[in-house]
Amino acid sequence: MSRDESLLEFLKQRGITRRGFLKFCAATASLMALPPSMAQGVAAALAQARRPSVIWLSFQECTGCTEALTRSHAPSIEDLIFEAISLDYHHTLQAASGQGAERAREQAMREFHGRYLLLVDGSIPVKDGGVYSTIAGMSNLDMLREAAQGAAAVVSIGTCAAYGGLPHAAPNPTGAAAVADIITDRPVVNIPGCPPIPTVITGVLAHYLTFGRLPELDALGRPKVFYGDTIHDRCYRRPFYDQGKFAHSFDDEGARNGWCLYELGCKGPTTYNACATTKWNAGTSFPIQSGHGCIGCSEPNFWDAGGLYKPLSTPYAGVGPAAAGAIAAGAVTGAAISLHNRRKRTRARAEHQRATVKDLEK
Amino acid sequence: MWFDPNDLLAFARGTGFQLALIVFLLGVTLRFVEVYALGRPRDLSTPRPRVGSGWRTLFRRSVPDAMTFRRSGVTFTVGYVFHIGLFATLFLFRPHILLFQDVTGLWWPGLPSPLIDAIAVATLIALAITALSRLLHPVKRFLSGFGDWLALAATALPVLTGYLAYHHLALPYTLMLALHILSVEFLLVVLPFTKLMHMFTLFISRWLNGETFARRGVAS
Amino acid sequence: MGLDDIGVHVVHGGGNGNGRALLNEVARLLEKLLQTGEGGSIDLAGMPLSGEDYDLLDDVLGEGEVHAEVTALGATEVIEAGVPGVWWITHYNAAEEVMAEFIEVAFCPEILQSPPEDVKEGLEALRARLLEEHLSG
Repeated sequence: MSRDESLLEFLKQRGITRRGFLKFCAATASLMALPPSMAQGVAAALAQARRPSVIWLSFQECTGCTEALTRSHAPSIEDLIFEAISLDYHHTLQAASGQGAERAREQAMREFHGRYLLLVDGSIPVKDGGVYSTIAGMSNLDMLREAAQGAAAVVSIGTCAAYGGLPHAAPNPTGAAAVADIITDRPVVNIPGCPPIPTVITGVLAHYLTFGRLPELDALGRPKVFYGDTIHDRCYRRPFYDQGKFAHSFDDEGARNGWCLYELGCKGPTTYNACATTKWNAGTSFPIQSGHGCIGCSEPNFWDAGGLYKPLSTPYAGVGPAAAGAIAAGAVTGAAISLHNRRKRTRARAEHQRATVKDLEK
Repeated sequence: MWFDPNDLLAFARGTGFQLALIVFLLGVTLRFVEVYALGRPRDLSTPRPRVGSGWRTLFRRSVPDAMTFRRSGVTFTVGYVFHIGLFATLFLFRPHILLFQDVTGLWWPGLPSPLIDAIAVATLIALAITALSRLLHPVKRFLSGFGDWLALAATALPVLTGYLAYHHLALPYTLMLALHILSVEFLLVVLPFTKLMHMFTLFISRWLNGETFARRGVAS
Repeated sequence: MGLDDIGVHVVHGGGNGNGRALLNEVARLLEKLLQTGEGGSIDLAGMPLSGEDYDLLDDVLGEGEVHAEVTALGATEVIEAGVPGVWWITHYNAAEEVMAEFIEVAFCPEILQSPPEDVKEGLEALRARLLEEHLSG
């Protein structure tokens, strides 16, 4: 495979016809949440697109992000886009190992300097000089800094790379940090989620392939096209929220009727992601559709944000002891003030003098 | 890194709520003990037999007489609307009941959300008219001090932010929800130390007045 | 054991109203098709539909006369609805999973038409074949 061929040529080699390409573009436009009328534009752009070199670095992570992406059955749309890039380094997926693998990374970094895409999953431990995670004797921190220098853009895949993720959860023993905490002089795109929706990962890559630039980002560095709406806004159960129809437990009538899961701790209203529209497993379902509330996995610090089953309108922590203490303290203070008032009154009474007309005439 | 509204929401639902609740409970208890300990002067009159006068007064004083109503009908009407509205939105909105259930373990049925929504709008309009009348009426304006404006703002903000949050208006929901909870926490903190304390003392003092007057033979 | 053997009790909650909204959009597109000759397409992936809303679409639109299958990058099913001019387009991948689903409003959906470049290439191939036959014949 030549790296310089266009995507259309690449697909043609794989026996894909124009109708197939049209279908591919319609699905890609759908993937990028573009209106169907944009499919033609996508087709025109993709026919010209060059295949970019991609280096994928995995740090403090569980490989769930890679699993999510590669578990889709071939040849799905994700697969084709994933194959349309030239993946030059991914230490879980590549055949080479040891020094050979690291050489492939170094070679790609040299050859495509300033042009390659850097994909990162996993957070980066920065405590104690970054000793808590190393690859080939090199700390994650150093490897990221080195690889980011020649990258056209950095894509943080998963909540760990985007916001620190589970390793960042209190008390964060390794000093886990997000990519954007470390790399500040390169464009960084966050694709959070635990894992992110595979079609969203490939959707961002498709956007880069189609338009040659990164998509527009929100305040938390996420592509607006996928993270522009909350789960709640796009949820098919939203009308039940508006009508005040809620499930009160996981096995009551409301739950069976498919009513809103707000009272069961659904974090949909504060979670920005595309699950409700893109869905999972080739569009089969998403957590709320299968009867469980959203846990908010694409938001920073979601694991430290109270229980998964606590409704958004309730406090995180128990307030019982604090409340009892406050009432006791209030009673004591009140008693002290009353005592003080009473003393003042007694004293005032004691010092009270009767004035006579004579006194006034003085 | 960047400002994350989730952090603000986490504070509002965590430490912020705890602190506000502590100040609120401490303040309310303190005020109650203080008021109770003031005592009442000994009543030297011969007690007239009249049972339940306090309760009757509680009701009768809540209904305006024709004369007063003619003189300040607006004050009465909007006053009633926003007081009932505040009660309904606070205690009969489902997500709020969840909060009370979480904190106290008590549960009661709520009203449908669209109805609460309409009540919230009426409450906001009534509060706006209250503010305007306080601003435009020369006597009211003369009598208004910092405490009055503080109480009005502390009452109106939770309704306004709650309405905006429910409808996903003005700001992203996460941020608006955080602001809504923070505004309620502000209300909790200032409540015991402003005239808003009448929430607790009003009916007690009204009952006491009724009883005292009945004892003196001038019961309503 | 099939799906039917699993003791699932399906409850009908009455949908969420989005199915109706979508049908109105289809009507609007049909009107546009008649007036301008150009219809439009609705991406069902982006629609918050409950199972019952989906069934409502199925019920109201029904099934019409044309049923076609395109084999390109996996199968694509093209079904004309009972309402002429409305087409269900379902793109499957080779593993028969749904890649994308559209309601297209058109006289003939684009995917059924031969791409002009293919026609051109086909014509060239045919001419070459005829020439070959002519030479050899």
